[in-house]
Amino acid sequence: MDFLEFVNFYIVPGLVLGSIYALGAVGITLVFAILRYAHLAHGDMATLGAFVAFAAVTLAGVPLYAALPIAMVATALVAVGIDRLFYDYLRERPRIVTVMASLGVALMVRSVVQVIWGVDAETYTRGIVRPENWWGIRLKDREIATVLTMIGLVLCLQLFLMKTKWGKAMRAMSDNPNLALLSGVDNAKVVFVTWMIVGGLCAAAGFFLGLNTELKSMMGWQMLLPMFAAAILGGVGRIEGAVIGGLVVGVVEEVSVMFLPSEYKAATAFAILLVMLIVRPTGLLRGKVL
Amino acid sequence: MEWLGLLNYAVFMAIFICIYALLAIGLNIQWGFTGLFNAGIAGFFAVGAYTSAILTSPPEAGRVGGFDMPVPVGWAGAMVLAALVAWPIGKVCLRFRSDYLAIATIGIAEIIRLVIKSEDWLTGSARGITGIPRPFGDLPYIHSQLAYLALVAGVLLVVYLLVERQIRSPWGRMMRAIRDNELAARAMGKDVPSRRLEAFVFGAALMGLGGALFAHLNRAITPEAIDPMVATFLVWIMLILGGSGNNRGAILGVAVVWVIWSFSEILTDRFPPEVAVKAKYIRVFLIGLMLQVVLRFRPEGILPEPQRGAAAKEKR
Amino acid sequence: MTPLLEMRDVRGGYGDADILQDVSLNVAAGEIVAIVGPNGAGKSTAMKAIFGLLNIRGGSITIEGRDITGLKPNQIVQAGVCYVPQVDNIFREMTVHENLEMGAFLRSGDLSSAFERVYGLFPDLRERRRTLAGNLSGGQRQMVAMGRALMLDPKVLLLDEPTAGLSPRYMEQIFQICRDVRDAGVALLLVEQHAKQALAFCNRGYVLASGSNRHEGTGAELLADREVAEMFLGG
Repeated sequence: MDFLEFVNFYIVPGLVLGSIYALGAVGITLVFAILRYAHLAHGDMATLGAFVAFAAVTLAGVPLYAALPIAMVATALVAVGIDRLFYDYLRERPRIVTVMASLGVALMVRSVVQVIWGVDAETYTRGIVRPENWWGIRLKDREIATVLTMIGLVLCLQLFLMKTKWGKAMRAMSDNPNLALLSGVDNAKVVFVTWMIVGGLCAAAGFFLGLNTELKSMMGWQMLLPMFAAAILGGVGRIEGAVIGGLVVGVVEEVSVMFLPSEYKAATAFAILLVMLIVRPTGLLRGKVL
Repeated sequence: MEWLGLLNYAVFMAIFICIYALLAIGLNIQWGFTGLFNAGIAGFFAVGAYTSAILTSPPEAGRVGGFDMPVPVGWAGAMVLAALVAWPIGKVCLRFRSDYLAIATIGIAEIIRLVIKSEDWLTGSARGITGIPRPFGDLPYIHSQLAYLALVAGVLLVVYLLVERQIRSPWGRMMRAIRDNELAARAMGKDVPSRRLEAFVFGAALMGLGGALFAHLNRAITPEAIDPMVATFLVWIMLILGGSGNNRGAILGVAVVWVIWSFSEILTDRFPPEVAVKAKYIRVFLIGLMLQVVLRFRPEGILPEPQRGAAAKEKR
Repeated sequence: MTPLLEMRDVRGGYGDADILQDVSLNVAAGEIVAIVGPNGAGKSTAMKAIFGLLNIRGGSITIEGRDITGLKPNQIVQAGVCYVPQVDNIFREMTVHENLEMGAFLRSGDLSSAFERVYGLFPDLRERRRTLAGNLSGGQRQMVAMGRALMLDPKVLLLDEPTAGLSPRYMEQIFQICRDVRDAGVALLLVEQHAKQALAFCNRGYVLASGSNRHEGTGAELLADREVAEMFLGG
């Protein structure tokens, strides 16, 4: 196999999948660092976002890419609501109790999707999309859109965290929660802003997974492990780390098909997770270890 | 006739309650007494079920085994293999907060599911493994059911007594000390990761045993026999509702949740088919909601953990 | 003259147990006041009581005659008292400048005069304003911590063991910073392990033991007191 074929068959799909994982992993790393628990309903929130976009496209006839912001806002609001209803009152209890609650929420969100949209696979658009040839590299429009949107969203997030008052408050809360509270940061507001962002990112991850493959009620749950592997690989709390982690996990999963039966794609994410916990639990970019 | 049907059903439920009680006690050792979050209960359950199935079923072409071994060997093998799967996961993750264990156990359960689905030579993939011997399986149906119930109830009683004894021993006191104040326990020179690893592996072995009992009950095991998320979650809600840290509470929780779960299934099966499908998901939604309600309004469960040791003396 | 900050007969603790039995102290404008005492005397606890981090069950705390007993930390900050914890008192992964910005989180509008004041006090920090605070030396971190607290222009600054774990050279540097802060018009109340050095440098001191006042006076008076000397210097 020559190099171009390798790129076309493994690297391009890997980077597209990796961009989707990156969108999820950034959210996971934010929750892990600021709210300080592993959020197990993350994947199923992504599923919900994907199906909200699906509803916008099929029921309301919204153009495909216009459905993305709609889904992001809707999922952000759902995320805030879930926090208020199910996580907020557990704040004084050990954090692992919130992890447990999030497992319950994962199940609940998935059931809602299954009741409303059923369990059959759906797609946003019908018909076959032919890739265009860019100097030998074959790319579909939606693949380009996936990677560019991921980069754009992450840049906006970074700008928000570095330049705005509440972005800085989020970083302060991640860095030293007690001192942030002593400085007068309102924790409830930080939690609200965090869930708005995380919910939006979840929806984007789900939307692009649905766009590049298909929509299924289990799609998000199956992304949970790679997303966590990406967040830990990059270093918990590191946005750039989560992006790098996502891309690495995506590419490794695709390349693993050369050596492993394709059923075991998911196992490579698990292997990366365990290796990182053994070798370097702080991740590539020296993040937190909870 | 009606009475016989009811009796049959009651016995069938009781067998399931005993099997789930084993899982709940296993989880209680991990979560209730040690504070470890295992989100892959179904994985350890499946390892136990398939191990015992392979060891005890008659030979079959194109698949490893069966080895036609006696049933107790299968059960022991189920416990050992579940423990062996748990060991490396615990070894890696128990140095960190339990969040990492939660993720890793989700991962291992997923991989076990993939192996079961795709490794034809080992698990028979979609066909599964059939011809698993059932103790007292030659008796007439109701007698056989009753005998199997007696058997699983006996296993449960033995496990319960052993675990209770272990929890009252110095080991159990140390586990609670670690759970309640890890820093203090470390400062006293306790080897916290090793103790946790013991609890994690021990709990996983009991889940493996539960899987074996399930496989022998059905005489067969297939990938579709258990929905991993729902099974794992049911055990969690059973333990939390019953009272984590209290084995009797765990068993009570199993009975309550299993009765609710089964009766809601009977109810929804009477709905017209298109509604019945949705109703299945609504049941799952409600069980998730139930956890949230318990966590909010009665986090200690129906039977709270008894005060032991110093705290109990103070109260007296 | 009414003191700037006054604590009168305060009793309280973290849970149900009272760590402070009966503590009274005051700080006037332009003063550096030190709280010293043996381990477990309740020194840091007294300071946390002022900052609203304690359950107070008796007595009162006032700032310029206004009662602040039982207020929340962010309300106390707005009343003009800022607090520098002993450990974890900086945002390590934020730049020096951002640390100061977080100090002024409750303040809106133009911060440039506040920055000027702090950078004027700590010229070292101005040079390193783009450095991550976690990469600074121990003394510089303490400057960041104090600078962060000074951004709200407090009347009184509370310092919990500012020299803990620092070498003697840095200790002298921190004391000098304290004097500079005082000269800039901010009164200081600090808790110190290094009793002898602290008493030598403060204006007035309080000796606490077992959660109660034991001795008080100017630094020099306390250093000359035989009982105090025995307590700390072993005779």
